Amino acid sequence: MSGILVIAEQRRGELRPVTLELVSAAQTARRAPGERVAVAVLAEEPERFIKAVSVAGVDEVIAVPVASKEFDPDALEAAALALIAARSPSLVLVPHSIDAFGWAAALAVKGNYGFATDVFQLGYEDDTLRATRGGYGQKVNVEVDFPGKEVVVLAVRANVFKPPQGQSQPAVSRFEPPPAPSRLRGREFVESSDGADDVDMSGAEFILAIGRGIGEQANVQQFQELAGALGAALGCSRPVADAGWLPKSRQIGQSGKTASACKLYVAMGISGAIQHLAGMKHVSTIIAVNADPAASIFSVATYGVVADIFEMAEALRENFPG
Amino acid sequence: MKILVAVKQVASLDEDFEIRGDGKDVDADFLVRDLNEWDDYSLEEAMKIKEAGSGVEVVAVCVGPADADEALRKCLAKGADRAIRVWDEAVAGSDAIAIARLIAAVARREQPQLLFAGVQSSDHAFASTGVAVAAFLDWPHAAVVTQLVYAPGGESAVLRRELEGGVLHEMQIDTPAVITIQLGINTPRYASLRSIKQAAAKPIEVLTPQQLGVAEAELGEAGSASRVRRMYVPEKSRAQMIEGTVEEQAARLAQLIRERRGGAS
Amino acid sequence: MSDPNATRVLFEDFAPAAVALFYAIAAAAVAVFGYGVYVQVRKYRRGAAATLEGGLGARFVAMVGTVLSHRTIARRDRPAGAAHRLIFYGFALLFLGTSTITLDYDILGPLFHVHFWRGAFYLWFSLVLDVAGVALAVGLGYMMYRRGWLKLPKLDYTRPDRKPGDPDYDRSEYRREDWAFLWTLLVIAVTGYLLEAVRLVWLAARPEVWDTRWWSPVGAALAQAMQTGGMSATAGGEWRLGLWWFHGILALLFIALIPFTKVKHIFTAAGSLLARDPLAAQRLPRVPEQQQRVGVQYITDFTWKQLLALDACTKCGRCHEACPARAVGAPLSPRDVILSLREFANRTLDSGALPAQAELDVHGKGVGQVAMETLWSCRTCMACVEVCPVAIEHVPIIVQLRRKLVEEGEMDPQLKKTLQTIHKTGNSFGESKRKRAAWTKALPFPVKDARKQPVDVLWFVGDYASFDPRNQKVSQALALLLHRAGVDFGILYEGESNAGNDVRRVGEEGLYEVLAAANIGSLATASFKSIMTTDPHSYNTIRNEYPDFGGRYTIEHYTTQLLRLLQEGRLGIARPLGLRVTFHDPCHLGRFNKGYDAPREILRLIGCDLIEMGRCRANSFCCGAGGGRIWMPDPPGVDRPAHNRMREAAQIPGLQVFVVSCPKDLTMFEDALKGSGNEGAFVVRELIELVREALGQEQGAPVPQALA
Repeated sequence: MSGILVIAEQRRGELRPVTLELVSAAQTARRAPGERVAVAVLAEEPERFIKAVSVAGVDEVIAVPVASKEFDPDALEAAALALIAARSPSLVLVPHSIDAFGWAAALAVKGNYGFATDVFQLGYEDDTLRATRGGYGQKVNVEVDFPGKEVVVLAVRANVFKPPQGQSQPAVSRFEPPPAPSRLRGREFVESSDGADDVDMSGAEFILAIGRGIGEQANVQQFQELAGALGAALGCSRPVADAGWLPKSRQIGQSGKTASACKLYVAMGISGAIQHLAGMKHVSTIIAVNADPAASIFSVATYGVVADIFEMAEALRENFPG
Repeated sequence: MKILVAVKQVASLDEDFEIRGDGKDVDADFLVRDLNEWDDYSLEEAMKIKEAGSGVEVVAVCVGPADADEALRKCLAKGADRAIRVWDEAVAGSDAIAIARLIAAVARREQPQLLFAGVQSSDHAFASTGVAVAAFLDWPHAAVVTQLVYAPGGESAVLRRELEGGVLHEMQIDTPAVITIQLGINTPRYASLRSIKQAAAKPIEVLTPQQLGVAEAELGEAGSASRVRRMYVPEKSRAQMIEGTVEEQAARLAQLIRERRGGAS
Repeated sequence: MSDPNATRVLFEDFAPAAVALFYAIAAAAVAVFGYGVYVQVRKYRRGAAATLEGGLGARFVAMVGTVLSHRTIARRDRPAGAAHRLIFYGFALLFLGTSTITLDYDILGPLFHVHFWRGAFYLWFSLVLDVAGVALAVGLGYMMYRRGWLKLPKLDYTRPDRKPGDPDYDRSEYRREDWAFLWTLLVIAVTGYLLEAVRLVWLAARPEVWDTRWWSPVGAALAQAMQTGGMSATAGGEWRLGLWWFHGILALLFIALIPFTKVKHIFTAAGSLLARDPLAAQRLPRVPEQQQRVGVQYITDFTWKQLLALDACTKCGRCHEACPARAVGAPLSPRDVILSLREFANRTLDSGALPAQAELDVHGKGVGQVAMETLWSCRTCMACVEVCPVAIEHVPIIVQLRRKLVEEGEMDPQLKKTLQTIHKTGNSFGESKRKRAAWTKALPFPVKDARKQPVDVLWFVGDYASFDPRNQKVSQALALLLHRAGVDFGILYEGESNAGNDVRRVGEEGLYEVLAAANIGSLATASFKSIMTTDPHSYNTIRNEYPDFGGRYTIEHYTTQLLRLLQEGRLGIARPLGLRVTFHDPCHLGRFNKGYDAPREILRLIGCDLIEMGRCRANSFCCGAGGGRIWMPDPPGVDRPAHNRMREAAQIPGLQVFVVSCPKDLTMFEDALKGSGNEGAFVVRELIELVREALGQEQGAPVPQALA
């Protein structure tokens, strides 16, 4: 068993950037220098992605045609299982993403592989593979290993590893998976359309995000005005979107948008639950305002202010007249 | 027709917690237990189907020691018909995969049409148990479901699930199937204290792995897909705190914002 | 000129058939009255059983005292009290008078040949009844003026819990009934005088009648006028006949219709007062273990006492006027809850056969039903219960209706979450139990743990005073004062849970029982002489409700303790403050438990000049946080009780400090001070903070200078 296999993630013809982050993650997990890193693209037309995944550190790209255009966990699992059986990598990396929630654990069970999710650190120590993930709501770190497992599948957290710089000329091969009956039939993709909104959180460079701390729907307006005065896009954490105070498209976090283009993120009344952090902790400058000095958001923020968010919003507004 | 709802009693950390002597977990004195937030939604979804039809039985199952009965009582209070708890010393130290093995064994016993689990738990967030159960049973599965339409006794269900980037995917799935339920799919009902107290009269069936046909070697560390080496409190990075009066703090924030926001001011 | 034979010949000149007819009509009237009473009693009996507080004898005496003194009607509305006394005594005397005549003529006369209604007795009798009639007429006249001209806001029947267009929005029928009542009584009184007068004219020739006529002064004056107007004796006789039948039948009709009209309040009000529970809102009823359903869902779930109380309401509007929710435009008026339920009860329970249970559900938006929004608007401040002249207990009714909503989970999501949080952590802040005593860490001395060491005073701190940063400062200030005064006190640390007062008033009885049991359990492990608390809500429930759960303690609010320390000289005033202040009576300390005086005395001792607000003491205006409302968001754009109160305070010229002595009041009013635009005009301070200043222990933040 040797070699690292990265399974790429794509949707509707676009490669998801997290794939490249996994290539970087793979570099830290080489058991020995020179261990090969292969990226497998499982898609209906996998060849279309070869160029995109040919980044520094990739030794091979494996095109794996999969029957379904839609997201089909059965097909992905069967293809990955066969690929792993054929290529015998010792380590398989997939993203810890909403998509992967649908199939990674099944893959691990079917293949009886070692398995850990939401891993943000990995590597070999004394010739054993170690991975680090969080515990108890990300308040502690847990280091795990995989005794007796020849193949280990790790779901790696996004926005932790930086994508590699530079291109490469990897070898390209193709792998035909056995046919797999599908027990799901995709019907259609639905854009989250509640509150037809033209503000795209994932493209915004400056975001003001509000959380449960704003208390009630009536208070949203104050922050809407503040966002306007600051020149920021107004985003929110899950509880605010679930309550209907802002459209779902404004939700930032694990199952909302990732603030990918954001350079400045101001979080007000957000405690910092893991699901939310997943969408924004990578932002270079994070300013957190919260009345609770023990809020988790302060551990990822660059600057913190312990204050009543309404008072702060008012005071801030005065600094941005017009 | 039966719906099996897998629930978890999660633990959150109390103030000033301490790591246990063996370094692998937090000292139990500092753990505050409660029903996993996702499971409120799973159970509610099962109750909605139950109340829409007739002859639907909702069974809650939890793998955990005796104090997990509290989580099951809450499910019974909300209207579940029966509750099952699985435990035995050998189960201690099991990860999501080993737990899934047990839940799959319960499913083989109960033969439900639908098996619900939460997308993840609020304590360790493996986000794996539900889908792992599906693999053990070799059942169709869909994860992160935010909408479900199922007629009791039907052969398939139509659902919407989340994909990366906020995209929703509508699909049809054959039953029996495993569905992992996402927050916000419904509004969980309130279980009044009185109903919880009355649920104390409903029995909770306790099963051992042996009764389910799961061997000791398939449980605990030996049966898990990963093993905990150590648990530690990370160096907490801390934001640079800005002090002063509200006006002073706001002025400093305004300065930072002007510096960092980029693009047109 | 007193003639021992003076009397009035009844049925004079009546043919026997006419007399028989009269008696037949009277019997019919009594039968109708009796049937009406039967229908009402049958309705009450369809309610659930009730246990009444206190012995029947004591309650009867109290009821009679209240009725005769008219204390509850005269409170806060002297003119209404005066006018109603006139009507009440006037009517009572006239009724007694008629009964006296019946006694003489129909009973004692035929049976025992005793006639006492003659001579001096008869003459004085006539005078008294004439005066009574005047009193009645004057009282009625005032009431007409009050309704027709003064147009008092509390007599405006517009209801906030329905919109125009709703089938039961229109209240014209009530107004018609009110006016019909007033006019009928007035007409009966006036025709009585006219009848008196024309009889005198008719019998003017008879000296024993004419010579004693001034014993009925009004009648005599009218007779004089009639004669001057040219009425002959014969004409008088004809008028007399007509008026006799008119007046008689009208009066009998009036009697017959009593149980079917507003007039029944004569009995139902007395009944409600007789069944009064003086601790109605302070101590809520328990849910019996075996009871299947919790709370009130169907009209028949109400007790017979409550159904009787629904009928006692005379729409006086005092509760409507006092209610803080109504004052800020919420869809709640206690009056309209009672009237809705009354209409519902009449519609469903008056008929012979009881309708199917589904039709008896009082929850909803249909005619006569009570909506969720109405029930959730209540602050359980008991202003309604306190002011009601006929002892209707609105708050327990609302709480029992809420219990059903809670059981079904029909409540604001934030409230739901808070209840779950309280269940999980024992406090409404969601903080770990261990953090409850964190506020004591800032003190320069250790605070005793009452579970481990015996103490004199066990201080039950309360959620807000333990966890809310602003209130923690107040707790610390009090701790310093107690320490300085050498009081041996301790707290329960993690052993204290939310006392449960508001949880109970939200209607989560199960959670309340859990909290009470936990606290009583903790208190059982502690050794102390008395309990003191800074939280009036905790004070109320521990004092009045914990005994029902096995916890009986001596408990004081901190104001009593503090006053004692000041009076005993254990705390010395270093500098009288000389501030112009007003005091807001907290609902649960003041109105609930009559604790008005200790805080005022403290303010006097520390040299403050106390100017009362209009609504003070028992009539204090709730800050709006009670009944679980502090755990529910206020709808946007709507006024809030605390803002309303601030505006009231702002009217005091030169006011410097608005003094509170409840943690929720402090929170609500500090917010409201800004929200109502009064920041800078005056400040909000807790009484403890002022005491500390007066002791010279601390310079507080600057207080605005009094404006000249």
